[in-house]
Amino acid sequence: MPSELTLSVNGAKHVVSAAPDTPLLFVLRNELKLTGPRLGCGIAQCGACAVLLDGEEVRSCVAPLSYAVGKQVTTIEGLPAVWAEQKGLSTADAAKTLHPVQQAWIDEQVPQCGYCQSGMMIAAVQLLAKNKNPTVADIKDAFTNTPPSPHLCRCGTYAAIIDAVQRAAQAMKA
Amino acid sequence: MTSQTVLSPQTPLTNAITRRGFVKMGGALFVSLSVPAGFSLRASEAQTSLDPGNLASWLEIRADNFILARTGRTETGTGMSSYYAQAIAEELYVRPEMISLVLGDTDRTPDGGYSAGFLWGMYNVRKVAAYTYQALLQLAATQLGIPVSSLSAADGIVSGVGKSISYGQLVQGQHLDLKIPITGKRATIDPSAPDGNGMAGLDGFAVTGDPPMKPVAQYKVIGTSYPIPGIPDKVTGKTQWTCDVTLPGMLHARMVRPATLGSTLISVGTLDKKQFPTAQVVTKANLVAVVSPSEWEAIGAARAVAAATKWTEWADLPASGDVTKTIRAFPWDAPAQTKGNVAEVTAALGSASKTISATYELPYVRHAPIGPFLAVADVRSDGRVKVWTHSAQSQGLRAQIANTLGVPADKVVVRWLDHSGQYGRTTFGGDGAEADAVILSQLTGKPVRVQWTLQEDLAWSSVSPAYVLDLKAACDAKGRLTAFHSASYTPHQSDARLLGAVLAGMPCVQPRPGSWIATEWPYDKIPNRLEQAYGMPSLGAASVSGGLRGNIMRTPGQRQQNFALEGLMNEAAAAAGADPIQFRLDHTTDHRLIDVLNATAKAAGWESRPSPHARASKTGNGPLTGRGVCIMVRSNAYWAGIAEISVVPATGKIQVTKFTIGADCGKIINPRQLGLCMKSGVVMGLSEALKEEVTFDKSKVTSTNWSSYKILTMEETPDIKIVQISRDDKGFGGGSEAANAVVPPAVAAAIFDATGVHVRRLPLTPARVTALLNA
Repeated sequence: MPSELTLSVNGAKHVVSAAPDTPLLFVLRNELKLTGPRLGCGIAQCGACAVLLDGEEVRSCVAPLSYAVGKQVTTIEGLPAVWAEQKGLSTADAAKTLHPVQQAWIDEQVPQCGYCQSGMMIAAVQLLAKNKNPTVADIKDAFTNTPPSPHLCRCGTYAAIIDAVQRAAQAMKA
Repeated sequence: MTSQTVLSPQTPLTNAITRRGFVKMGGALFVSLSVPAGFSLRASEAQTSLDPGNLASWLEIRADNFILARTGRTETGTGMSSYYAQAIAEELYVRPEMISLVLGDTDRTPDGGYSAGFLWGMYNVRKVAAYTYQALLQLAATQLGIPVSSLSAADGIVSGVGKSISYGQLVQGQHLDLKIPITGKRATIDPSAPDGNGMAGLDGFAVTGDPPMKPVAQYKVIGTSYPIPGIPDKVTGKTQWTCDVTLPGMLHARMVRPATLGSTLISVGTLDKKQFPTAQVVTKANLVAVVSPSEWEAIGAARAVAAATKWTEWADLPASGDVTKTIRAFPWDAPAQTKGNVAEVTAALGSASKTISATYELPYVRHAPIGPFLAVADVRSDGRVKVWTHSAQSQGLRAQIANTLGVPADKVVVRWLDHSGQYGRTTFGGDGAEADAVILSQLTGKPVRVQWTLQEDLAWSSVSPAYVLDLKAACDAKGRLTAFHSASYTPHQSDARLLGAVLAGMPCVQPRPGSWIATEWPYDKIPNRLEQAYGMPSLGAASVSGGLRGNIMRTPGQRQQNFALEGLMNEAAAAAGADPIQFRLDHTTDHRLIDVLNATAKAAGWESRPSPHARASKTGNGPLTGRGVCIMVRSNAYWAGIAEISVVPATGKIQVTKFTIGADCGKIINPRQLGLCMKSGVVMGLSEALKEEVTFDKSKVTSTNWSSYKILTMEETPDIKIVQISRDDKGFGGGSEAANAVVPPAVAAAIFDATGVHVRRLPLTPARVTALLNA
């Protein structure tokens, strides 16, 4: 049965009416119109739906709404604000600044179809929060062996992702 | 509105620009299609929106210098939207960022055509831009009073003799028309069409005539790495994807698929209205779905209904382990296509002192996008149909939907939006969730969004069928090839029927089994050549679902045929005791092939020696290294791939440590995007070489998630090195395919180099490799 639950997403509070077992993905997409995370496998095997929950990646296709209550949810739409806060950017600067991971994804022209890339960027943000200077091996390990599953890209953009993560790491150190 | 010719009709380069009238605000030049005499339009269609004379313009140049370009082709993820903008900008003498593109919408674009068929698509837009440029020069000549011969343009400004005027100023205050001559026909259902996919007109319109094109030496935009226009919105979440379409009153649907590929419906499970108060079961023949205003309710209700729905038993599929046996047992008749001389090759093989024979096998694989099929449809009671799709063939899809619903094509509008890659499966205008969506929308009277699940997609979408290929070659005393015969046997590869229409028992396109010779094998020093391609129906074709509906997939046909041909080349080189690259060079005079092989070998640090390596072994617990090569010629592009691997014989585990890929695609349009396509193609090729196989039992597909249909991960991605050769004198070549297809033969050759055992079947899983080494 639907309940009224309060969610904190990308810095804003939202009251949503949904069954507590509803996967977070459907609430983000259908109720809050945050369409950055997308449905891939629906069983936490691909990463297309990944979002950050208090800075930790979760697969929103299986994470129940109730699990997100009381935590900060971040989707790719919220990444510029995360960076602005981290860097203490002025409102004017923040409005024209993307998160370095997003900027690197543009600069390296990573997306082909792009369906998996929201999740890839979420994984990159999490990795760079823990490892400011990841090697190629570190990046491969993080995108492949972090539970619950590898982040999969069918277009085969893995090499571009590796380049973009390293570019973002440099930008974030500057 | 009075039409006034402002350019003389004898202008050699263009049809006339006409002025429809003057306008107070703005002004624009519309560049649209000129329908040739005798263009096939049925009388009943002449007044509809399908009249090409009324179709949307190719180009619009507005008074504010805004340039809008339209093509019915789409961005498939390989950078088409960059290349189109670059090609138009080059011939129109503007910067690519001045151009906005409308892609793939049947009601807002003038043409159709294969989205993957970039070369044809670019051929059209380049000519449109070239015609338009000549017309703009003529306009400027009139307005500035300077002859065309004294005018030139850059960045959208025409200048000459100290005067200049922008394109926007040229159209200011006017409403101008320029008609571009075309040929071709729009996509239709045509059971007699020669390609076997049951469709005609999938090539779309082609622009005719020969407007002067800019000399390659003067290119400023082509050859630069212009970024893909849609990427910033994709990384910030602003793109509206197909899955983001929502309509007032829209229902979410989840499908309840049959228990097996051949099951028919006995009874539908009842819906517990207490648990799922707003859900509804919808059925038509064997098409079963649950719809609800809530997506989560639709998911839960569909699961509950599926568990209680009864289907007949069916077990007429050969299991995937028996595919080769099944293909062998088929009563083969004449080949679908033959290339070469049967008598000469038969004689050459019969009289040869030495021959090499081998059989190669490729399993069923599939496109397997990360985002499963999805479509939104709104079917109105007055017969109007609107479909939001990610198909790569909007016009073909429109024809299929109109055919299924029994409505005229002009009643159907297809809108294209970004979504997960298709890799060929929607190229014929079918496969996908669109039929599900329109049927459910028609039955419920509401807009319906159908989202397939991954399991459903991996079980029910079309597949790239298995191949069995028999190769035989004759060698001379030095081991050089003097004749070869290849015969490929495969199930249907052109069945792009929409599953929803098939299961609902509604009219479908009627594809025919067959096959084709896709190779352009460039070894001109082999004097006697014979290639034959045989096609049979899909496995399980007689079932109500059509069984394993075979379809094309990236580098279709050639991917499979080249695996055998290049495998044979590696085996023949080994038999001759020759270095595999030198052996190839010895069999060709084609300098483009020679150059790309040499450049790629140099970049890879290739050491000339025969395979296998002197320390090759079938046993041992330590890693053995090997290297192998493969080439391909496709769509005016030359490719070479060199794999470096290590394999542990005891475990069969292969690691591809480095892959060097070289390409000569004629004039390179966008070096960075080509490089990205080359690298990503290598990833897809490695995935096929090492991991991919659709498995099935006698009833259904069993590889239905990412644990059972494995694709390459980032950790398994090697260092990929790219080599590009750009040529100004060879036109443009295809860069989005082939890369995936040069990988498996190179990896197979590298394993032979390391172990001395020929590899003739994919995928190279540890179990298969150990079985091969122990055989």
